Amino acid sequence: MSAVLATRIAEDFAAAAHASGDLQRQRAMQALTERGLPTSRDENWKYVNLRPLEKVRFTPATGEPQAPVTAQDLPAPVAHYCRYTFIDGVFAPALSAPTPNAGVLVKSMKAAAARANPISTPDLRFALLNEAFATDGAQILVEPGTDCQTCVELVFVAATEGKAGASYPRVSFHVGAGAQVGLIERHVSIGSDASFINCAVDVSVARDASVKHYRVQQTGARAIWFDTLTARLAENARYQLHSASLGALSARSTVHVQLAGERSEVGLFNVSVGGKNQVHDTFALVEHIAANARTEQSFRGISAGRARVAFNGKIIVRKGAHGTDSRQSLRGLLAGADAEIDVRPQLEIYTDDVRCNHGATAGKLDDNMLFYLLSRGLDRETAQRLLKWAFLEDVVAKIEVPELRRQIEQSLAGQLNEAAALKELL
Amino acid sequence: MLKIENLHVAVGDNKVLNGLDLEIPTGEVHAIMGPNGSGKSTLAHVLAGRPGYEVTAGSVTYDGRDLLALEPEERAHEGVFLGFQYPVEIPGVNNVYLLKAALNAQRKHHGLPEVDAFEFLNLVREKMKLMKMDESFLSRGVNEGFSGGEKKRNEILQMLVLEPRLAVLDETDSGLDIDALKVVANGVNTLRSPEKSVVLVTHYQRLLDYVVPDHVHVLVRGKIARSGDRTLALELEKRGYDWVTEDETTPRNYALHDKTASTANQDAQFRGDPGAA
Ligand SMILES: Nc1ncnc2c1ncn2[C@@H]1O[C@H](COP(=O)(O)OP(=O)(O)O)[C@@H](O)[C@H]1O
Ligand SMILES: [Mg+2]
Repeated sequence: MSAVLATRIAEDFAAAAHASGDLQRQRAMQALTERGLPTSRDENWKYVNLRPLEKVRFTPATGEPQAPVTAQDLPAPVAHYCRYTFIDGVFAPALSAPTPNAGVLVKSMKAAAARANPISTPDLRFALLNEAFATDGAQILVEPGTDCQTCVELVFVAATEGKAGASYPRVSFHVGAGAQVGLIERHVSIGSDASFINCAVDVSVARDASVKHYRVQQTGARAIWFDTLTARLAENARYQLHSASLGALSARSTVHVQLAGERSEVGLFNVSVGGKNQVHDTFALVEHIAANARTEQSFRGISAGRARVAFNGKIIVRKGAHGTDSRQSLRGLLAGADAEIDVRPQLEIYTDDVRCNHGATAGKLDDNMLFYLLSRGLDRETAQRLLKWAFLEDVVAKIEVPELRRQIEQSLAGQLNEAAALKELL
Repeated sequence: MLKIENLHVAVGDNKVLNGLDLEIPTGEVHAIMGPNGSGKSTLAHVLAGRPGYEVTAGSVTYDGRDLLALEPEERAHEGVFLGFQYPVEIPGVNNVYLLKAALNAQRKHHGLPEVDAFEFLNLVREKMKLMKMDESFLSRGVNEGFSGGEKKRNEILQMLVLEPRLAVLDETDSGLDIDALKVVANGVNTLRSPEKSVVLVTHYQRLLDYVVPDHVHVLVRGKIARSGDRTLALELEKRGYDWVTEDETTPRNYALHDKTASTANQDAQFRGDPGAA
């Protein structure tokens, strides 16, 4: 971290009374100061654009934007999910329609004076930044045995420009034993499209519980979005994380899943479409700690224009995690002469008796497929768009909430059209 | 309908077609036979406009127009259809979506409105019945996970929906058991009409029992070595390709049939690498 940046963060922290007087925040700040924010010289951070950080203000925005946000500005709700909206990280009751779900407790951390679990995982420095500054967040507690498959929708609206204040979405999501829950988490921009957002989510899934977590990042064209998600799975727990990265000028997501219980299973499904000068970078680490756990990881990314799309999927199999079964399918598609795509599977195995398959490809559209479509009379642009669509659909099709899937498909289609209009594909 | 004159085609440094002449009048079915590697698929691909094949000399005229000047999709719009020897799997692109997009592209080219959804579905259902294909194939990805025989039937289904004026079918019969062969043959016979022409590229004479050709040509080393009526195919079956090539200076030992060929290993061959065949 540059000295300038370190000083700026320290100054903003000292000036924020809610933060500087609080022990847990002080600890986070101290840990951050010791470690420093990453730089592009760090192994797992080389694709991120960290420069915009030098222009942002780290003090949290107040959550009261100049132009009021109305319900019409928000994405269409998904049936049966209870909506909780946060503006610049602060709960906005007027834009929320929480109906009680038996066994599910959702709290504004600020209102309930509730604390999130301290962030403890080592390389999650942006989460420390969130912990030091965040003023509010969603705490979701699901009681054991609860069946709430269409459950909660969190909408995080970034409204303030990054120069004026930061948005710190924070989610603490704890699912009790045997519960079944569906969570939608959206990130959008309304008002300024140049916000600085630093999001931290921690998830724990107790034994025999099953969670489907859908995340859609659709922030503004000049937004800077940093994100850290940690999840810990107990015995026989199942966690599916579906992510669609669409917006932002520069987006970085750091995901760390710990398979701590035997026979736990994680599915990570990620699509990312970048155009113009967008940067989308994801680092997803899955740690197999207990035996007989499974990982399925799929990534589909398209990079057009002058965009850079990167996905680094790392799997560590710890000693004693025998019977590990992991599959990785990471695929990138280059859709512009000046675009860049990087997919990188990494495996570190410290035990015997594991099955780890991984496939990674990055390239252009398949010529044979293209010719087949042309030979049937489809024009080149349609054929290319169709193939890109198919490429993404492989993973998008796994989204089991039809309305949400349609919304994401619509956004993707829009994004692909826009990319095609640039006429620089292939 | 189609006139090929002195066609020379190179793939990289490899001269594959060496002065091929062929004329297909409207309303006729012509079979092109020949040993593996003689250039049959190359001819089919050149007619469909596949990139990577360099026409170094000669001409191809379709309905009096220079076919080689058209883009692949324009050829399709004008009624040229290639049935692929190795149909491509396209996961994620719906089979029925492709059928509809292809039909509408053609209609648009001819100034017609998009096909009515209801009519379209009826049309496809009728053709599928003819091809003895289950309707579940419609919602699957194009050729995705189809068996060899199912892929070939899907090619013919596309042909029947698009109703091309010139269908070039590249070994649509290989890898089929006898029942599937009859279904495919029936599909081709349905298309047959005084306005349409068909080029059947085949390795085996078997198909020609069911789709009786007007003419048979033997392609050897990139040239038509012999032409005749359907008895030529029977003769080839009996005598092998050596008989056609024996007057060449360096006779090569082509076998018409792999003597142990069963449907199973034809299938294996079908799945194999085209270049290695
Ligand atoms: N794409 C290609 N790249 C290199 N060689 C090719 C290619 N296509 C065809 N050939 C060569 O051209 C010759 C004719 O091949 P092909 O037209 O497939 O024959 P057939 O269909 O009669 O078996 C073969 O020697 C083959 O190896
Ligand atoms: Mg061939």
